[in-house]
Amino acid sequence: MVFENVPYGPRSYVFSPEWFYGFDSIIELIAIIVSILLVYYSYKCFKLTKENKYLYFSTAFLSITLAFTAKIIGTLAIYKPTITRTSIGSTIHEVFTDLTPYSINAIALIIHFFFMLLGFMILFLIISKLSWKNKKVIVLLAYFVLIATWISIIHYQLFYATTFVLFLLITYSYYQNYRETKNEKARFVTIAFGILLVSQAFFVFVIYSRIIYVLAELIQLLGFVYLLIPFILIFKKKPKNRGL
Amino acid sequence: MEVKRRGRLEIIADILRSVQDKGGRIKPTHLLYKSNLSHTKLKEYLETLVEKGMIEEQVVKGKKTIIMKEEGHKFLLEFDRIKEFSDSFGL
Repeated sequence: MVFENVPYGPRSYVFSPEWFYGFDSIIELIAIIVSILLVYYSYKCFKLTKENKYLYFSTAFLSITLAFTAKIIGTLAIYKPTITRTSIGSTIHEVFTDLTPYSINAIALIIHFFFMLLGFMILFLIISKLSWKNKKVIVLLAYFVLIATWISIIHYQLFYATTFVLFLLITYSYYQNYRETKNEKARFVTIAFGILLVSQAFFVFVIYSRIIYVLAELIQLLGFVYLLIPFILIFKKKPKNRGL
Repeated sequence: MEVKRRGRLEIIADILRSVQDKGGRIKPTHLLYKSNLSHTKLKEYLETLVEKGMIEEQVVKGKKTIIMKEEGHKFLLEFDRIKEFSDSFGL
């Protein structure tokens, strides 16, 4: 476990065992691909229907995409410090002389925390059918995201505890949606978020064992694969009889 | 009980589905009954659909018939996908 504590500043965390270095980035890359597909299709729906709910959903998954991208950059800075010796890396280093792999990791983690919390907060607002017209609630939740990000920098466990609560609420809302619609694809979405909820529970305890991190990442992978299933099923749908 | 008003896209999809369910061709009087719209409103929608190339009006044996075109099938498929996506992801 790599640790560097900067007094009163951001911290650098890497929980992966060395043999798992890079595999977590591949898992996060898969999560990015799933998220981008959702961003693309919901934005397409927005362009066709002009309904804002699709735009908000697209924004939520765009935020999640940025969060995972930041995490990949942050962990690769530690896994592959030789990257700083490449021409681009050394140019960046000449401009930002204080930049070390650990500080890159720490900054990337803050970005990861913020965009993850923002993305899932937006998703929670959509699925809970809360009114976007109530600006006071939106401001309060935005403040909550900022505070949660700030506290997460000091105690990373609070980040996963917060995402766990968000996932709990999202999963429950999706379960209610499934009960109302009785839709097979809605069932897959509920299961996907249930799996992601379990992964967040594992992430809370990564500090105690490196293997917990591996398990959490693998469960997270399963969650995103499940999220992809309803999307594939929708597009597998064949057109009805074309008549004459 | 809350009665939800149909949006423009829902009305278009309902019209096209009525035509599709009848094997791709339907009489205007039957469509008027199926679409749950006033005569004037249905006429407006049909003009738009003809303009967009989703349907065409033909006169067969002196009787007017509405025929669904490829664009109409494409629209209906995309509309159903959006609806499925919306239901699945609780939107």
